[in-house]
Amino acid sequence: MIKKIIVSTFLLASFAISNAQNLLNKIPNNTAGVIKYAAENFTKNTTLQKLDTYSFVKKDFFKMLHMDSLTSLKSLGINFDKDVYQYFSMQDTSLTFVTLLNLTNAEQFLKVIKANFNSIGKLEKKNGFSFYSADADTYFGWTNDVAMIVNTSYQNKKNYYDYQYGNSDTAVAATAVVEVATDVTTIYAPTAVEVVSTQKQPKPKNGKGKKPVVKSNTAKIQALKKAKRLKEERQRFVADSLETVKRDLWYQQQDMIAKKYQYGVAEKIMNTAFNGSTASIQNEIKYKKIIDPTAHVSVWLNNETLMSQYNNFFALGRYYGMGSYYGYGRKTEYQKDTSANFNSAVNVYFEKDKMRMEQKTFSTDAELTKLGNAVMDSKQNASMLNYVNADNIGYLSMSVNTEAMANYYYIVIKKYLNNNAYVNEYSDAVNLYVDLLQILIDEKGIADLTPGNYLFVMHDLKNRLVSYTDYEYDKEYNKKEVKKTKNELTPNFTYIMETRKDAFMQRVMNLPLKYAKKEGWNYTAKNGYNELIFKEGELPISSLYFMVKDGKGIITTSKEVIENTLSGKGFTTDEETKNAILNHNYSLKINTKKVLEKLGPELSTNASKKVNDYLLQNFGDVKMESNVKDGIIQSTTTINIKGEHTNSFEFLFDMMDAINNIMEKEKQEDEKKIN
Amino acid sequence: MFCCLILFQSCFEIVEQILLKADGSGTFQFVLNLSKSKTKLNSISKLKTINGHDVPSKWEIENKMQQIEKAMTKTVGVSGVKSSIDFDNYIATINCNFVKLPQLNAALKNVSKIDGGNVAGLDKVYSYDAATKTFERQNKFGLKNYYKKVSNADKEVFTTAGYTSIFKFENAIETSSNKDATISPSKKAIMLKQSALDIITEKKSIENKIKLSN
Repeated sequence: MIKKIIVSTFLLASFAISNAQNLLNKIPNNTAGVIKYAAENFTKNTTLQKLDTYSFVKKDFFKMLHMDSLTSLKSLGINFDKDVYQYFSMQDTSLTFVTLLNLTNAEQFLKVIKANFNSIGKLEKKNGFSFYSADADTYFGWTNDVAMIVNTSYQNKKNYYDYQYGNSDTAVAATAVVEVATDVTTIYAPTAVEVVSTQKQPKPKNGKGKKPVVKSNTAKIQALKKAKRLKEERQRFVADSLETVKRDLWYQQQDMIAKKYQYGVAEKIMNTAFNGSTASIQNEIKYKKIIDPTAHVSVWLNNETLMSQYNNFFALGRYYGMGSYYGYGRKTEYQKDTSANFNSAVNVYFEKDKMRMEQKTFSTDAELTKLGNAVMDSKQNASMLNYVNADNIGYLSMSVNTEAMANYYYIVIKKYLNNNAYVNEYSDAVNLYVDLLQILIDEKGIADLTPGNYLFVMHDLKNRLVSYTDYEYDKEYNKKEVKKTKNELTPNFTYIMETRKDAFMQRVMNLPLKYAKKEGWNYTAKNGYNELIFKEGELPISSLYFMVKDGKGIITTSKEVIENTLSGKGFTTDEETKNAILNHNYSLKINTKKVLEKLGPELSTNASKKVNDYLLQNFGDVKMESNVKDGIIQSTTTINIKGEHTNSFEFLFDMMDAINNIMEKEKQEDEKKIN
Repeated sequence: MFCCLILFQSCFEIVEQILLKADGSGTFQFVLNLSKSKTKLNSISKLKTINGHDVPSKWEIENKMQQIEKAMTKTVGVSGVKSSIDFDNYIATINCNFVKLPQLNAALKNVSKIDGGNVAGLDKVYSYDAATKTFERQNKFGLKNYYKKVSNADKEVFTTAGYTSIFKFENAIETSSNKDATISPSKKAIMLKQSALDIITEKKSIENKIKLSN
């Protein structure tokens, strides 16, 4: 399914051209997120004819659209030469995801829709556009040139259990339910049970019959009890059945209400887009500032709107009760901003030899922008480089200003609590309490303990010998337990945290020494460091070393790192890595080739080995770097590619096609083996 | 993806051993050895679920072993039932004595009933015809259809798994129907080693009909 979504998404991405109708002006400025597939930029890279050649596109995507494999992507009626947009919003209490695309042939487009929804769809003519209700959640609307797909979900469905507690909103529905319930009572009415009196039977006139009468009474009492029990069981059954029917009818009614709203929302969105004028996102600085028109794909998110809409989701409808449990319950006091009006965007570029993702985050609130930038006002400690070996598997370096971060969090906490239902009534008290915390907490002290420089290095994936129990047999097949050894992959890593409180960190490190014996830990003090030894096979690592030296707290699996630190030596790393770490707040690198080479021998099936080989030949290193540029927090992630691919966009399709073919072949071979 | 592939490549071995006396009584041992995968199992044991399957706790495993021991003990003609589990090496063992092989079959059937199971063919897993001096190991328990349905990740578990059976007798072995089985020089013991995957896919059989000398 995920694969289908990915394929669908990329296939909807448009390709180049002039006179492209601007669909961005149909996207409202209060949207929580926008995805843009830039047609012109794509067309430079890949043609539709090329995409048509991928077997998995024909097999899966076409199958999904009920199309035969001889049909081309050009026959969908969609104009793949113009930009495609998708956006989501919470309009009229419905969570809505809208796709906007240009058409080449409205008739063909309708044919594709009908192929998918023919049995349930309904075609209508609206004011200047065609409208097709595919199902309760999915609606299509189109003119000759432009199509919209609206997926919407009404969020204010009532909770049945509110009705149970006499919520007045639900009274109308309750009446209908009771009417049906009456019928149900008739259907499940218990069968008549003979009533047996429990009063004492009159004594017979002659004493001869006394004993049998007692026996008869006992039997009657037993029968009475049984009848009573049966009656109670039937009543319980009827009550349960009634409850189930009432609940089902309740939710059926809620679904009908939702369908009506959803239809209305879809029609309204389309009517506005096709006939009205929209206060569009295209002119908003929060959008324009971080979206690059030259990117192939752009994803824009308004964190504030997104968070509000996410929280409101739990404050409404069926989730209302659940939300109130966590303090959300007030319908009129939806959750508001907690994200300081931060806007984020990811611009994706499919270049010849790499896929590049540029992420940008900024707040329209100047004060918060200043604070955010202050958090990033930090530089990695150069002595950390001594721990990065040149042939490492990967590393993550992080350098932030922890003092600024602490100050930043006071504002965020205040903002969060002041916008929280119930708590916001006491905002003065909350602000006072947070200010008191700020007075009591020593941010400089925090910054001294952990100034904000951290480094994690995966030095290597090494083999280690692990023993296991096996059996050997003598010539008379007497079993004998033997210990054998085998190689297992073990990670060799180091984590370092800078500190200006060496003595305190040393105390933290030494604290477990006192309790090691009592707790059964093999944790011992060595010469200048501590060692925690694990039982063989307990973990993929044998030992962890702990050390505090020269303003650094070190946790490592590498004895070499410990010895280097003790003797004041270090690894020599390459210039590129050095610059990446020292010039960025965040820096990450994964040597994919090394990872795949190390994992290869561990794989046992032919398919996983072939996938590994394919990735080894085609997948390059992954890098991420982040810092502040032009007052905006910016990150660049690159995935390098190798092998014979026109560009990184085609690489994605080539890779999916290749892996799909390997898995299919394996499946066929597997079936052959079994049969 | 790679993590899942590695986690699921657990290797295990099943050892099944019967020492059958001339009067039809004997001893039975069943061993499940996961020692080769102990590091992976230690990692898995820290998870709640893996690939959609619940990961049992040590307590649950011990409890299950006790249930097995109890189910075998209550079987008439089965005695000396002892079960053990070594969590350092992940080896589970069950030993017992039996008066006749049908009673051992009954014990296995009782074990299969613990979770409400009703495994077909457990009545005839082991049989010994004293008149013809013939011991037979049957297997009516097919996993082929189950294997077809399981996910690729689950299938990985069986790729390197193995099965070993050892049957020992007081009399010498004259013939064995399973060509993969090897007879010891004294002719009083026979061993069969198969890959679990071959057994599941029914490429190889663990069935054997062993004729003993008079």
